[in-house]
Amino acid sequence: MEDSTDLVALAGNPNSGKTTLFNALTGSAAKVGNYAGVTVDIKRGETRTPHGAVLEIIDLPGTYSLEGGSPDQQIAREVLSGKHDRVPRPSLVICVLDASNLERHLQLALEVIELEIPIVIALNMVDLAEKTGIRLDPVKLAEELGVPVVPMQADKGKGIVELKQAMRHPFPAAPDEIGWEKGDAESRRAFGLSTSDLSARRPTAHTSTLSDKLDRVLLHPVWGWFFFIGIFFALFWSIFSWAGIPMGWIESAQEFLIGKVEGLMSEGDFRDLITQGILGGVGAVVIFLPQILMLFFFIGLLESSGYMSRAAFLMDGFMAKVGLSGKAFLPLLSSFACAIPGVMATRTIDSAKERLVTIFVAPWMSCSARLPVYLLLVPMLLGGREGGAKQALFFLGIYVLGTLTAFAVARILRGRLGPDEVESHFMLELPPYRLPQWNYIFRHVLDRGWAFLRKAGTTILGIMILLWAATTYPKLDSEDPGEVLSHTIVGRISDTIEPLVKPMGFDGRTGTAILTSFAAREVFVGSMAQLFQIEESDDEDETRGRIRDRLAAETWADGKPMFTMPAVLALLIFYIYALQCLPTSAVVAREAGSWKWAVGQFVFMTVFAAVAALLVYQVGTFFSS
Amino acid sequence: MSHPTVKELESDSLQSLSQAQVGCDFQIQFVEGPACEQLRNLGFCESLQVRKLANGRNLVCSVCGTRVALSSDLADQVKVSPLAPALS
Ligand SMILES: Nc1nc2c(ncn2[C@@H]2O[C@H](COP(=O)(O)OP(=O)(O)OP(=O)(O)O)[C@@H](O)[C@H]2O)c(=O)[nH]1
Ligand SMILES: [Mg+2]
Repeated sequence: MEDSTDLVALAGNPNSGKTTLFNALTGSAAKVGNYAGVTVDIKRGETRTPHGAVLEIIDLPGTYSLEGGSPDQQIAREVLSGKHDRVPRPSLVICVLDASNLERHLQLALEVIELEIPIVIALNMVDLAEKTGIRLDPVKLAEELGVPVVPMQADKGKGIVELKQAMRHPFPAAPDEIGWEKGDAESRRAFGLSTSDLSARRPTAHTSTLSDKLDRVLLHPVWGWFFFIGIFFALFWSIFSWAGIPMGWIESAQEFLIGKVEGLMSEGDFRDLITQGILGGVGAVVIFLPQILMLFFFIGLLESSGYMSRAAFLMDGFMAKVGLSGKAFLPLLSSFACAIPGVMATRTIDSAKERLVTIFVAPWMSCSARLPVYLLLVPMLLGGREGGAKQALFFLGIYVLGTLTAFAVARILRGRLGPDEVESHFMLELPPYRLPQWNYIFRHVLDRGWAFLRKAGTTILGIMILLWAATTYPKLDSEDPGEVLSHTIVGRISDTIEPLVKPMGFDGRTGTAILTSFAAREVFVGSMAQLFQIEESDDEDETRGRIRDRLAAETWADGKPMFTMPAVLALLIFYIYALQCLPTSAVVAREAGSWKWAVGQFVFMTVFAAVAALLVYQVGTFFSS
Repeated sequence: MSHPTVKELESDSLQSLSQAQVGCDFQIQFVEGPACEQLRNLGFCESLQVRKLANGRNLVCSVCGTRVALSSDLADQVKVSPLAPALS
């Protein structure tokens, strides 16, 4: 059965709506965005034709032509020409064309026709074409090309049924005769232009669209920056300020559960495991779910509105100073959500050296896993209402600091790698602004939220249980809680590493929490919640007090406060810079083509983080004493 | 596409896209240079209309209804002439 299903590939220029169509056909939720280069890898799915046949659908990265181009475009080319090592040659190609820009999009379709694979043309975005006043004639287009043409609007699901009808056996064979000279780019181009003139007549008057008007402001050398900074400030400020209410709900639920368990179970190790380890530790991380959802929501808005390419355009001048192009800003911006898709997205960068540099610095763009750590620490630094403007500004500063360091390192590294063999230039499509597809965004945000909860229920839960065991055993019969703790595994680890981390202002427990966060950054918050409640466990109310208050009240053995301004700053700096994400390292190794890059990056970032934290603490204490 | 004669190159009607005036419509006469294939792929083909929307380090143009940003050294490789009524 498996190998008899036909393979159908979706091909087309970037941003023509291939993934939207893929999602509509297969019911998946692959990433869609309003800029060129969203899909950088092959996605697979299945669909059923009205006749009940099952077809395997693959979504390809967008490509402008079957020659040249960046690594993502090469993947599409290899699949279409049957040279990909893991994907067989497709039995049918659905070529997705943007009807509002047929002059350009048709060229790729003609190239695919030359390959003599059965082809169906999905003439997408007919709504946009009509709005621009283009007179579409799909019948004429089908006649001229000799292949079926299905007009459609993928984002509203219009034309999907008709497309499925066209996908039935026998697949429409490639035309016997073509109207241009095969293999001759110039003749093909001339044919494409005359055909699009016949089947998609453009009005002669050039009208100024809403996007043109918006761009006049958003790409303006002065106003553009004003809005750029404003947009990002609003983004981080709202993440920081708005989530207080849903967080309060989660917190109350957590406290309610702890209270319930304490009421129901008799005192003992098992109850401690549930209240301290699981509810206390995992709960401390899950509290940050609302903020993480908000971050993904806002990044989703940026991606689907069309602003991403404008941000890249604005940043190009700045990026050129560090030896990168504006295009490299797109993967870096995606890394604010998560470095893994960010590193993957570097496939859209033409220059191999520029791509390596971007991969190397991408993890310095603060990802969503660092959010809980920042949100825990920032209010400890600045007094005042939690979520106030001062804290929000500081919070934005953390992101700016990470980004600027990434640029500085990129500059040094770019200089060392030497110039490119082939000079590449900045060239970027600025797609029309679009209203976000709300249903897609909500689905995407829910998916990410679910992924976060899954992580909390697996990795984080596992580590919390281990940590709980390590803070409980081996037991010592003593009345002094300090003595009991130092007898346990964690106590011993923490005594061993304390001399190492003390110059950075941390005690052994914070050091242990940092160690556990190498499994996943968010774990830090849970570990701190667990490690800093043990001594007070005789007072039930205290244990449930907010972790931040507990940390603020913590003192060294000599009675001096532990979490002073320099110490918290050092902790923040460490988390801004350290690379504590194994999946990222694995993806870096794959994308950079060698483990050396991944290992080098890990060592460099970790050492950098430790040295920076050390300096901050030492200089900070010097000035504050 | 026949290549332009020296005379045409010197005539003032032919200019590179990077020197062209903002806000006007032009017709692409020819695309020549190391990146010409790349430019053609993005829609900068001979005989098509282009409107220049903004100048600067990177210029913004609209070609076949799509806005494209491109660096000025790329725009140097696109030679255009003003559309009849717009200029002259
Ligand atoms: N107006 C309109 N917008 C559409 C239509 N189909 C898709 N879009 C939008 O077009 C944008 C691009 O869609 P994608 O599906 O990500 O395009 P893609 O071809 O997969 O792009 P790459 O992966 O970058 O090659 C998204 O913002 C969609 O919402 C349509 O029929 N009409
Ligand atoms: Mg896609």
